[in-house]
Amino acid sequence: MDPVFVLQQVLNGLSFGALLFLVASGFTLTFGLMQIANLAHGAFYVLGAYVAVVTVSATHNFWIGALAGTAVAAGTGLLTERALLRRVRGREMPEVLVTVGVLIVIADLILALFGGHPRSVSSGNGAPSGAITIGDFVYPQYRLAIIVLTIVIAVALFVLQKHSKVGAIIRAGVDNREMASALGINIDRVFTAVFLFGAALAGFAGAIGSGLLSLTPGSGTDILLFALVVVIIGGLGSIRGAAVGAVLIGLIDAFAKAWLPDFSYFTIFAPMALVLVLRPNGLFGRAA
Amino acid sequence: MNRSTVIKLVAIAAAVAILVVLPYVISSYYVSLISIVFISAILASSINMLAGDANLVSLGHAGIAASAGYGLAWASKQGYDLGGQLAVAGIMTVVTSAIYGLISMRTKGIFFLMVTLAAGMVCYGIAFRWSSVTGGDNGLTGISRPPGLASYWQFYFFVLAIFVIVTIALVITSRSPFGLAMRGIRDSETRMRSLGYNVPNYKFVAVFLSGIVAGIAGVLTVWQFEFISPSAGGFDRSAMVMVMVIIGGIGTLFGPLLGATLVVSIEQVLSTYFDRWPMVLGALFIAVVIFAPHGLDGGIRQLTRWFRRRRSPKDPAITGTSHDARSTATQSTTTQQ
Repeated sequence: MDPVFVLQQVLNGLSFGALLFLVASGFTLTFGLMQIANLAHGAFYVLGAYVAVVTVSATHNFWIGALAGTAVAAGTGLLTERALLRRVRGREMPEVLVTVGVLIVIADLILALFGGHPRSVSSGNGAPSGAITIGDFVYPQYRLAIIVLTIVIAVALFVLQKHSKVGAIIRAGVDNREMASALGINIDRVFTAVFLFGAALAGFAGAIGSGLLSLTPGSGTDILLFALVVVIIGGLGSIRGAAVGAVLIGLIDAFAKAWLPDFSYFTIFAPMALVLVLRPNGLFGRAA
Repeated sequence: MNRSTVIKLVAIAAAVAILVVLPYVISSYYVSLISIVFISAILASSINMLAGDANLVSLGHAGIAASAGYGLAWASKQGYDLGGQLAVAGIMTVVTSAIYGLISMRTKGIFFLMVTLAAGMVCYGIAFRWSSVTGGDNGLTGISRPPGLASYWQFYFFVLAIFVIVTIALVITSRSPFGLAMRGIRDSETRMRSLGYNVPNYKFVAVFLSGIVAGIAGVLTVWQFEFISPSAGGFDRSAMVMVMVIIGGIGTLFGPLLGATLVVSIEQVLSTYFDRWPMVLGALFIAVVIFAPHGLDGGIRQLTRWFRRRRSPKDPAITGTSHDARSTATQSTTTQQ
């Protein structure tokens, strides 16, 4: 096997895995705290991506675009939580169903506003572009930047969760909602904040993902499937699980696309099925 | 026979009479539309059975339907005769349903929903990517109906008959000891386990049986459109079918039919006037989930109860008890969600 090819596939897998981590960590955080499987998460991703693409082509600045995408996704998340999810709080199934409804509405909204043609963010504009060349090895800088950026975000998330007051409040909410609110924590506000944060992560992932993957109104369900598989493998509610699952699925997907293009969906499905049979709660999940 | 039984029987007889006469009265377009409604209602029934009796809401059953449909379409393309086509479709249905059952039998609630969702998307992905067999994005076209069902009204009667058979079979299953055990598992898995029931086995069988019904709907869909493409198994399709079940009313007998009628009307009729029909449907769905958790069927029951109360204020005790019993039954279904 050609070592350059292998290294390129590993980096492809890691950069896709990095994107998956950004999407899956927001999903898993929301689930861990609120027990809401937010199926509109993929829609937040696409919304962030489209807003970023449009903003970048207007302002010619990638980072303003990423910020706009993040902000719009966060705003939509805020609206979803405050106006809709709050009305069915604590009832598992209606909560999921509401997010499915939100997904249908946002998907159609995107089709109406941006059309059905594939789009992608124009390269450059302040974002890393061009390629790194070391001998035979050539690799786009943009993908490397995504890996580095995601590692920074992941480390920040870990530190925030383990060593800050906000993290302590969220962990308290995950462990025992009633006890946390009895101790004077405004759990409703924590819910809103976490939901908004998850949506913002999805929007940001969409913004940077628009330079990596092709973007169509259907991209949301695609990325949602990958995020679901990642959190099912890693264990729902666990950020560490999301990180391990994202790297695993990213690598599997990269090599499957190179070697078995016809079955690239099936190859991520097989490890998920294996985990479900052997460890129904995922690698890092707690027993329900 | 008391009065309400007589009313019910008369209503069913009238409905059957209308449905039999319809193809002689209305145009072929509307007859085909009603066939689509019944096919969708069969698929919705398969989800409704799981959602109502077992509180297992599936977001992936379109995947099973699509795998049955692809089986039929592929066999037809290969030149198999009708028996061979149905055999391939049957094998595909059995295998896919068994896989769905195996990976979901230890889950419940949201986890079940997510696992079936992932499974459905994999079906879609395989249909989309394995283009040498499935035709990729273009799908498989030109699959003709079997002789005897070729014209629209023959097919309509066939679909109607299958719908009635499937509905009766599902009612019988639901009232059997198996259905009772499923409701027991829905209400308390721990209790059923300590009574000696093997909970995962029951769930496997329930998912498997509902998968068979979904497979039947898949074959009918291919015959209806004489065509299949990956979107038949996609998330949008599964979500639409679940929307039918929720809007119609989870766990009710006529919920799937009511929901299918509404959704297909919006999908096929409203879409000719208004491009943004998914938005309308999505908003309607959210409204139903938040404000009318019993769905249309529950809403209609509430209305009739209200009418009866108004018309017979003298004997609230008699009507009151029977309807209260029913309403507590539906309530316990929804609180379990």
